[in-house]
Amino acid sequence: MAVRVNPKLIDELEYFGAQDVIKCYHCGNCSATCTHSDEVFVFPRRSMRYLQMGLKTKLETSIEPWLCYYCGQCSEQCPLGAEPGESMMSLRRWLISRYDFTGISRKFFKSTKLELLFVILIALLAGIGFLFYGFGHGDIHVYDGANAFLPSHFIHAFDLWLAAAMFLFLGMNIFRMWYFIMIKSGGVHIPWWLYIKKFYLLPWHFFTQKRYAECESKIKSKVFMPWLVHLGLMLGYVIMLVLVMIFLHRLQSGPEIDWSVHALAYLATVGLLIGTIYMVKGRIKKEQVQYQKSQGSDWIFLVLLMIIVVTGVFQHICHRLGMEMIANITYVIHLMAVVPWLLRMPFTKWAHMLYRPLAMYFAGIRKNALVLEKEGAPISQPIRQAA
Amino acid sequence: MKECKIGVYVCNCGTNIAKVVNVEEVVESLGKMDGVVVARSYKYMCSNPGQEMIVQDIKNLGLNRVVVAACSPRMHEPTFRKALENAGINPYFLEMANIREQCSWVHDDAIEATEKARVLTSAAVRRVKYHEPLEKRSVPMCPATLVLGGGVAGLAAALELGDAGQQVYLVERENRLGGNVGRVDLTAPYLDSARDLLTEFITRANQNPKITVMIQSKLVELGGYVGNFQARVEDAQGDIIELAVGSVVVCTGYKEFDASRIKSLAYGWLPNVITSFELEGMIRKGKILTKEGNVPQYVALIHCVGSRSLEYHPYCSRVCCMTALKYAHEIKSAIPKSYVSDVYIDMHAFGKGCEDFYRRSTEAKTMFLMYEKGHPPRIREAGPDDDCGMFIWVKEQLSGEEIEIPADLVVLMVGMEPREDSEAVAHLVNISRDKHGWFIESHPKLDPVATTTDGVFIAGACSSPKDIPDTVAQARAAAARILAKIAKGEIWADAVYAEVDEDLCSGCRVCNELCPYTAVEYDKVKKRSHVIYAMCKACGACVAACPSGAIKARHFTDQQIFAQIEGVLPWHSNHVS
Amino acid sequence: MAFEPRIVGFLCNWCSYTGADLAGTSRVKYPFNVRIIRVMCSARIDPTFILKALSDGADGVLVCGCHPGDCHYVEGNYKAMRRYALLKKTLRSLGVEEDRVRLEWVSASEGVRFGEVIADMTEKIRKLGPNRIKAELILDKAER
Repeated sequence: MAVRVNPKLIDELEYFGAQDVIKCYHCGNCSATCTHSDEVFVFPRRSMRYLQMGLKTKLETSIEPWLCYYCGQCSEQCPLGAEPGESMMSLRRWLISRYDFTGISRKFFKSTKLELLFVILIALLAGIGFLFYGFGHGDIHVYDGANAFLPSHFIHAFDLWLAAAMFLFLGMNIFRMWYFIMIKSGGVHIPWWLYIKKFYLLPWHFFTQKRYAECESKIKSKVFMPWLVHLGLMLGYVIMLVLVMIFLHRLQSGPEIDWSVHALAYLATVGLLIGTIYMVKGRIKKEQVQYQKSQGSDWIFLVLLMIIVVTGVFQHICHRLGMEMIANITYVIHLMAVVPWLLRMPFTKWAHMLYRPLAMYFAGIRKNALVLEKEGAPISQPIRQAA
Repeated sequence: MKECKIGVYVCNCGTNIAKVVNVEEVVESLGKMDGVVVARSYKYMCSNPGQEMIVQDIKNLGLNRVVVAACSPRMHEPTFRKALENAGINPYFLEMANIREQCSWVHDDAIEATEKARVLTSAAVRRVKYHEPLEKRSVPMCPATLVLGGGVAGLAAALELGDAGQQVYLVERENRLGGNVGRVDLTAPYLDSARDLLTEFITRANQNPKITVMIQSKLVELGGYVGNFQARVEDAQGDIIELAVGSVVVCTGYKEFDASRIKSLAYGWLPNVITSFELEGMIRKGKILTKEGNVPQYVALIHCVGSRSLEYHPYCSRVCCMTALKYAHEIKSAIPKSYVSDVYIDMHAFGKGCEDFYRRSTEAKTMFLMYEKGHPPRIREAGPDDDCGMFIWVKEQLSGEEIEIPADLVVLMVGMEPREDSEAVAHLVNISRDKHGWFIESHPKLDPVATTTDGVFIAGACSSPKDIPDTVAQARAAAARILAKIAKGEIWADAVYAEVDEDLCSGCRVCNELCPYTAVEYDKVKKRSHVIYAMCKACGACVAACPSGAIKARHFTDQQIFAQIEGVLPWHSNHVS
Repeated sequence: MAFEPRIVGFLCNWCSYTGADLAGTSRVKYPFNVRIIRVMCSARIDPTFILKALSDGADGVLVCGCHPGDCHYVEGNYKAMRRYALLKKTLRSLGVEEDRVRLEWVSASEGVRFGEVIADMTEKIRKLGPNRIKAELILDKAER
């Protein structure tokens, strides 16, 4: 079956950041230099080719963009400045928009203004909502306990609803991702039990982020820095998420420090803070290839995260110091950042946090299925013939 | 005949010969031969002291024949002939025995190799006895030139000669000058207007009093030889004009490949599949439209149509890649919203400015799709639901996928092939063609504008596909060659050629037909044939064929070769059991 | 002592002689039995050269020219080929074995092939045994 070329796709991909892919003349230096590229999943060259040709289905069902961790070595090696690393990045953005059936993601990627508007709107709505609730049910001078401005049981319930909404969208996106990569792409029969056999890959990659450490240039630079930063950020998210979702009342209580939760929270905060500062610094300095072409969307994420971390820390300190009112106001600002930050998660680049380990999981299954197919075919026939 | 005084010189060639051949044994044996006055060996005969040794011997011992047993005569025959000349004897009194390439380098057994070297050298001694003094002869050079073809090559050659003040007859078959370049809009890679380039050439040619432009005319006969051709040209009125010229430049160009020969490309029955020249026509008119009159959204360019394929032409037509890029550029600027796909085998962007042009084309978002040699694209009509008129099936190489490319207009980059009349032209001016029909140059690298017929030059795409710069360079090179001959005023013919002994000739004319250069002429009055030595290239075909033995191949006479045969045959007695 | 054939090779100047030179520069080893005579073109090779060589005691004669289409003199090799065909007929009627006279196309680039041709021809003629023509001619003279 011949696949249809779509000359228009390349124009669309430009919105997602693939500005230079047309320059590529397929020398293959990028694939040769990439530590993650192997005999089954060859990239970035092949993805570059699909991009140039506008083979939409091939791209949509490809797993390769998720296997790239943007060390930037390919872009540095590229003789034509075709930016294979950035092209893979833009493919990831495009894939996120393809996984998202609502079309919101696509609109965000195409217009940062729209995304900013959405964030501000949600933040304002959240702010008004919380103020309205606070003044209706509590006292702005009380941070914690009875008559609190924003009592932990209310915020806890709200968080659960918010998380449910977020995970609903994420879940649907993940389903589409699975469908594209494992079903629509075809090519190999995948026995169901491989999903169980290879399941360990998912938590393994999620919690270790070890693929970052495998990028050659990242190993060379400053003691695994990008990997450590990602690991710190990721563990920070996870710990914070667990603490907020389950132990919010203990986090919010005070003024004395509950070391059983706060110790972890401090650790997570440090991870988040270092990670965020590192990324902001990288994006301002633009020394490393991967930070040279960040989009508006990336900045929205970072700024929101900064606000969340800073306000989180600040309200915590204020509460310990007995400055309840300031703590409450900071809390509202904190939540105004948290709500849009979480809600836009499934629609932006930061969903890669989940897609990446999932892709490793799917890649493991596909590779195993290929091995089975290769072993299966030649062995079964001669045995039958001999019999 | 004077008594033969032969000097034999055996070269050691460092150790190249001496390592296997016992040189002293050869020298000793040869020294005993009849007529040999002196036999010597030396480390390097070709060195200055080696040559000086021969010169001194000729002067002091009165030698009149020299045999050098050394490397291949193809290597140093001119060197030693020069030495003989310097010593004051005729250079053709030299014979060489090839005891390096044909003996020491190919045999390991020292005894056998020494014996073979001895035999080869003694055969040379026997042969050299029959050598005759030969002199080069000269003929006058007519300064006028006939240029066949009024394309960019013909114009360039004519202008170069005309500007130098020499008479030129520029003969063009069509009713206009300009040739194939005249059918083109812009030129790659600098996007200069072809019209501008040509107009300047044509105006200058028409205004130059030394250039006689003859349109709608053709050469019907060419007789004579270098420096002294007689051309008969038929002009527009059908009159025959006789021209005396000294040189001929053939610039007859090419024609485009007939794309309808490739069925899978549907040229001829899908109306929107057109050739590159048809697109040029559209661009020159200023409108790129489909046959239905619509502006095409998808335009596809297919490379190597008729070129680089075993079925049609195995060679590369050289200009189509850059022309296709030029089209991509022209289409994009005419229809900014169009999508151009460029379907190619390899992108040949070798010339000055071409790689840069290719890079700019990729940046202008031309979609480059690579197909495999032997898997030519197939074109089919699209369905009613598709947003394009046709689809091109291609086995794309860089992705490994079989793909379908949407197209509303398909442009076939037709290759170049020799004109239908190339055989007739080759016959008229007596030059040869290769298996494809292109004219053959004297040497593809070192003598690219001369032919095997002296005085006939080729320039431009009549010898192989060429772009405009190469064509112009060749035309000017041919003109320079001719101007050099004109400056000399006479032509020196090689001393080695065939001679008819008119007393022995029976006038049977067998030789007339055999000569590939029509150098043997029949004298109707004398009823004898004779050789026009300026045209003879000394192949000896006529000599071997003459039933009365009346033709002599100078320097390769029957006597000389018989002596050599006798020389190589008396073997060592122990070889016959 | 074993029979060593004597072969006379007539080589055209432009392709085959250059090819034999290339065999030398490439250090291709071949039997010493061949002795080469240079002519400008294979078309120069008069059948009498071959007959002369055979009657002077050559056990084999090799004629080499450019490949068809590559002749320096346009089509001299075709002329040689036609003469060769006629000569073969004559030789057959004289009782000379087919393999004694051989026509081969050797280009300037075929040094290795030239060596192979010589090796092959030497072997074939070794099997045929010595050429009897010369012995018979001597006998003829003696009888007269």
